[in-house]
Amino acid sequence: MIGYILTTKQYDQVQGQFINPYQFINCVADINGDYFFFGNEQDKESFKDTEYMWLFDLPQEEYIPPIQNEKP
Amino acid sequence: MILASSGIVASQIASFDADALAFFARVTAAGGSLTLSEKTATNQLVLDLKANSLWTPMKAIYPMVGSSAAACAQNLKSSSFTGTFSSGWTFASTGVTPNGTSAYMNTNINPSLQTNFITNHHQSFYSRTQTPSGNGWNMGVGFSTTGSPLFGLSVVRSGNSAIYDSGYYLVARSTSTQTDGRAFWLGHCNASNSRKFVKNGIVIATNTATDTIPASNANISIGALMDTATSSPNFFMSQQCAFASIGDGLTDAQASNFYTNVQAFQTTLSRNV
Repeated sequence: MIGYILTTKQYDQVQGQFINPYQFINCVADINGDYFFFGNEQDKESFKDTEYMWLFDLPQEEYIPPIQNEKP
Repeated sequence: MILASSGIVASQIASFDADALAFFARVTAAGGSLTLSEKTATNQLVLDLKANSLWTPMKAIYPMVGSSAAACAQNLKSSSFTGTFSSGWTFASTGVTPNGTSAYMNTNINPSLQTNFITNHHQSFYSRTQTPSGNGWNMGVGFSTTGSPLFGLSVVRSGNSAIYDSGYYLVARSTSTQTDGRAFWLGHCNASNSRKFVKNGIVIATNTATDTIPASNANISIGALMDTATSSPNFFMSQQCAFASIGDGLTDAQASNFYTNVQAFQTTLSRNV
């Protein structure tokens, strides 16, 4: 899956921020600990006129999820 | 007379249930909108749930209508427990679909704050996705490291396992081998030793082990597990959701009627599976 890659500073800036009362930003770390943002076309529409539209201009890379420990 | 703001003919207002009307108002106030078909179907759902003694046990009902975050975040039951969606969801007339990587909905329902949750609860999830995939939970909350406790539904994981967790997973888990995720899934618990996992109104697994572990102290997520081990969502799933609810435990008759009512709702909206 392709996502937008963030620096740690950018992650701290956007993680959990609301773009409207019902939607917020959630980024996840990949296998290397790099943070990714995933936004689809509907997200892009919702982000219009917000201060976070720049997320869609970030470089895109393949996301490889972290290896999770054995779980229930 | 037409009410321009809501698109409802005045004569229909009298025929809509007051709780349905309140839900429509919440959707509108949030900036969302519903079609007349969605309003009619939702109103009938409210009437059916009330007629079958299913309204009172509900804490939150998310009908997932309106094709927007603003509309789908609204709780049909009341103005409490309005949800919030992360980035990464797709909203359509058929329901809401998470990306399986980062998307989740916060229901704002914390089991530890609900009276007797451990012995009296249910969670339901209407999945429109056939192919089993992922290794997470479609909704739930819990401590992933030890699985003590876990409360949630997985419908259906890779490996064809459907799971209803309602406490310490080694004690309170109900599992069923399933190959098709499309269904109305319900996990409900009426006592510390009485749990049932129900698919389309039919019990597919029963668990009678005694478990009195404390309920999780975090909000139940949809699309992922709210992991109390990391205080963040994890174990994301990608199945499309066309209805979800959280509430008190149900009787067998209520569980059966619940499926009938929800399936009728989905059929009216031409999105039944």
